[in-house]
Amino acid sequence: MNGRPPAPAGITGLGIVCSVAQDVDGFAAALAAGASGLRPTGTADGPALTADVDGFSLERALAARRLPAHLLGTAARAAGRSPWPLRAAAAAALEAWEAAGLHEAPADPDRIGLVVAGNNLTEQHTEQQRPRYQRDPAYLPARYALHHQDTDHVGTLSHILGITGEGCTVGGASASGNLGVITGARLVEAGAVDVCLVVGALVELSLLQTRGYLTLGAMAAAGPPGTPPPGAPFDADHRGFSPGQAAAVVVLESAASARTRGRAASAVLRGHGSALDGNQLADPSAAGEARAMRTALRRAGLAAREIGYVNTHGTASPLGDRTELAALRLALGDEAGTPWINSTKAVTGHCLASAGVVEAVATVLQLERGFVHPTPGLRRPIDPGYRFAGTAAEDARPGFALSNGFGFGGFNTSLLLARPDA
Amino acid sequence: MSDLTRTQVFDTLRRNALDVVPELDPAAFAAERTLSELGCNSIDRAEIVTLTMEELGIVVPVHEFQQGYDIATLVDVMLKHA
Repeated sequence: MNGRPPAPAGITGLGIVCSVAQDVDGFAAALAAGASGLRPTGTADGPALTADVDGFSLERALAARRLPAHLLGTAARAAGRSPWPLRAAAAAALEAWEAAGLHEAPADPDRIGLVVAGNNLTEQHTEQQRPRYQRDPAYLPARYALHHQDTDHVGTLSHILGITGEGCTVGGASASGNLGVITGARLVEAGAVDVCLVVGALVELSLLQTRGYLTLGAMAAAGPPGTPPPGAPFDADHRGFSPGQAAAVVVLESAASARTRGRAASAVLRGHGSALDGNQLADPSAAGEARAMRTALRRAGLAAREIGYVNTHGTASPLGDRTELAALRLALGDEAGTPWINSTKAVTGHCLASAGVVEAVATVLQLERGFVHPTPGLRRPIDPGYRFAGTAAEDARPGFALSNGFGFGGFNTSLLLARPDA
Repeated sequence: MSDLTRTQVFDTLRRNALDVVPELDPAAFAAERTLSELGCNSIDRAEIVTLTMEELGIVVPVHEFQQGYDIATLVDVMLKHA
């Protein structure tokens, strides 16, 4: 490759609403404590465990923000009648906006981008509206024409925040979050925007979507009474993923913009990799996953031994977990056992479209605050040759971390995040 | 033909308008005003009418609604199909 690599984007703001916390500080505390939002569903035919967001209220979320009244008023009006996953995304976006100080040290709105990660986000909403339509088509709620579109996230969030640069949704199944971060980073690296909000959209699964994952055996089913709960990612008792709900946001920003605004980045996105397998199926490929990780390392100009931590895709799929460990061996070689590894999905559930953004937030928090969170429930790792974080948080100061995200249909992605001083 | 009164339709429209647009001034909701004048955008207006039809069990064919109806005319159109 010729020429200088583009200057990497920094991360100047984070926001989250998930099962274990409805703000970033609460999320950091839950990670450090090894809390888990996963709870039994009590339905034999359904998933064994889910990590749902309980008791979310946009009013309460807005009341917690120290933002100008006109901004909070616009948020209440614009998102007030939105489906609740979008209200949660608005809350997370406002938290990240405040953290980045975009209300007090503004950037040019034409130079702010908005990437929403996730697709097929509205099937549950459609499922909910169908009985009204069946009673009479005239009763279909008038906002349906807006609400059934994934891009309603882009419209509503840009309306609230006054964002007038580039915007779009980005999809890649469970790799959507990482693909959103990569897309946002490219907009910043290419100079198309100075600041880019990347929003991982909260997935509320429809009955059909849930059943689809169960039918394939990808999601861990509850089973008849007495069936033991599924094991954590990388545990010998793992038998499929458990879904979680989260909206998460990272603010990516060029170093020049952050400097102009007087803001410090809490982490830097030093590299990223994205590669397809050329495979329509749900079969993961160690070679494809390793290619994504190696690309991220190469773009960052780093050697395998410099990676101190890997936030795995780690869904608790037996095949997926084994394949990812094999991919780590391919990508990192003899150093595969060196970095700490864990799975945030044991804390948040598998947040599907937003997983990559949730895990980018988790990775940044661990780099910034100097710990590696445990993988709650991981008792008997399937392979002793890796450095799994134990049952409690480890004091650790990794400088460089990989965060993986893979998706059905052969999507492989990896982010390389760094402490600013590393 | 049901026994719906003008007052019932008017009150239902007003309640739904206040639900959809909480900042709307209830005192300004008057028969000779249009929903646009009260600060309702096009999506708000469609939602207020749809919610009111559903609540009252009325179906007005979609082509019978026109832009710029005042509230009294909206009530008339709904009563015609009640």
